[in-house]
Amino acid sequence: MTIIANNPLLVGTLVTPLIGAVIALIFAKSNRLQRSLAVLTGLVAWVLSIALLVQVHDSGIQTYALGNWSPPYGILLVADSLGALFAFMVTTIMIGGLLYTFHSHDKCMTYPAFVPLFLLMEVGLIGAMFTGDLFTLFVFMELMVLASVSLTAISDDQYGLEAALKYILISSMGTLFLLLGIAAMYATFGTLNMAQIAQILLTGDRPFLAPASALMLLCAFLLKSAVFPFHFWQPDFHTTAPTPISAMLSSIVVKVGVYGILRLVTLLFVEDAPVLEPWLSVLGIIGILFGSLGALRTYNAKRMLAYSTFAQIGFILVGIGWGGTMALIGAIVYAFNHAFIKSSLLMLIGVVASYTKIKTANFVDISGIGRRLPSVVGWLVLLGGLSLAGVPPFNGFISKLALIQGGVESGDWGNLIMMVGAGILTLIYMIRAWQRIFQQNPLPGTAETKSEGDSFFAPMLMIFVCLLLGTILAEPLIQLVSATVEQIQDPTLYIAAVYPDG
Amino acid sequence: MIEFTFALAIGILFGIGVFQLLRRDLIKAAIGFAILFSAINLFFVAAGAFEGDFAPYVSNVEAQRQTSDPLVQALILTAIVVSFGSFSLVLGFVNIISRRYDTIDSNEINKLKH
Repeated sequence: MTIIANNPLLVGTLVTPLIGAVIALIFAKSNRLQRSLAVLTGLVAWVLSIALLVQVHDSGIQTYALGNWSPPYGILLVADSLGALFAFMVTTIMIGGLLYTFHSHDKCMTYPAFVPLFLLMEVGLIGAMFTGDLFTLFVFMELMVLASVSLTAISDDQYGLEAALKYILISSMGTLFLLLGIAAMYATFGTLNMAQIAQILLTGDRPFLAPASALMLLCAFLLKSAVFPFHFWQPDFHTTAPTPISAMLSSIVVKVGVYGILRLVTLLFVEDAPVLEPWLSVLGIIGILFGSLGALRTYNAKRMLAYSTFAQIGFILVGIGWGGTMALIGAIVYAFNHAFIKSSLLMLIGVVASYTKIKTANFVDISGIGRRLPSVVGWLVLLGGLSLAGVPPFNGFISKLALIQGGVESGDWGNLIMMVGAGILTLIYMIRAWQRIFQQNPLPGTAETKSEGDSFFAPMLMIFVCLLLGTILAEPLIQLVSATVEQIQDPTLYIAAVYPDG
Repeated sequence: MIEFTFALAIGILFGIGVFQLLRRDLIKAAIGFAILFSAINLFFVAAGAFEGDFAPYVSNVEAQRQTSDPLVQALILTAIVVSFGSFSLVLGFVNIISRRYDTIDSNEINKLKH
């Protein structure tokens, strides 16, 4: 058996934030140094992930066998174009989150553990996207969950702890089922290497426990991305987390589940995908309707955005459920763009909330507060809201267009009409929130404001990226994602990269 | 015979674990969580332990003897570490919550409900 090529960029992207976390722990005394170090680490990981993305795009799937143990043994890292694209998304948005901590006045960000945990979350995210075997996926997902739960538990919001306990119990239940599914996989296939499992399944062999473990894995991924029957923890958890954390949770952490589902239907259970996909569509549509209606009637701006994430994940799932080439392109572009828009919007609402004395985002407290903020913030929120709703010059429009085209191609008119109709609700709640915060006069009962709040630099940067992605970079992005979809639709490519000899 | 005992033990542990996890008492829930994790670890062992009768790497020196699968045991070690981490985190949360809310009854810890 030939030894597969080891690409050091894979390990570099994964280990950089880990090293950053350890060094940040050493400098626990100096908060400023910790934050600078974190941004530096984020930038290094970002550069490495770009280099990796370019390499994957130019010369196919990259692999790294840790300790030179060749594939069925040892831990294998694989970056195909889907993994590299998602890792690029994660590192880019992480920079936004880390920059936000710089000029934030939250008390929780002065804790010595904050920055290391933040970086560990990044390690978990990148690791989950690069890993080539299921058990390592479980370990990295658990790392990500534990880091994000701890970060929410130390939030300035007094209910953060309650939401964290609720989430860790629910999420651990999901993790348990993931582990159970993995154990069932091992019992039936005798391996946990995704390429090898895919190889066995491609031959048309259907071992006894395979469908059951597919369902268990699917449920665990659905729980991680807060899809309909498993969504109830999400608004609480995403609302009470500290601002930069909630921006990360709502944009990239939920995408791990999406990534897992994509892997499940395009690599592992390709033959069974037609059975799973209609269900994904149904769950997606339910998510879109519930999420949009929940966002309309909620009392808190952050909570509104959390419900909106619930709806947007629904859009992505409907795209995956349609399953055609164009629909998959739409779903991945949607996942990519949504991460940028949602993280910037959540950080902007965090900036708005930081101007109140009690740091609340309840509409009754923040309506009319916009008059006292720098006027840029208002315009940025409006731009973000329009982008989320899919109004033309922004990236939200590109992703919605690609998704609708996928729907037309698959000919599923019922779901398509419901999806587009519910999409209009996005415009309604975003514009209404903007009016309440920035256009009204303050109500008599509103909270006291401070003269100084968090800096809006990081979300501004993200909004610019959104504008860039929607206009100048729209075509390259679509091309990149088309190449990605072309690659993931052919699982033999992935298998050939891991087993060059077949 | 030993397979049957294993299956029975896994089933009983699962039952106890789920029952405890659904209790109103948060400490009982946390312990139920730990029990559930041991049930799954046991399931993992069962997935590879009964192929052969000898310990791997030690007793197969003279070859040709069927050894049990060492990989599941390595995997479980990792799973135990992960589960221990989350278990201690849950207990830590329950500890702080019990002081902040003066109760560990999950029905009374409902400040997030509006």
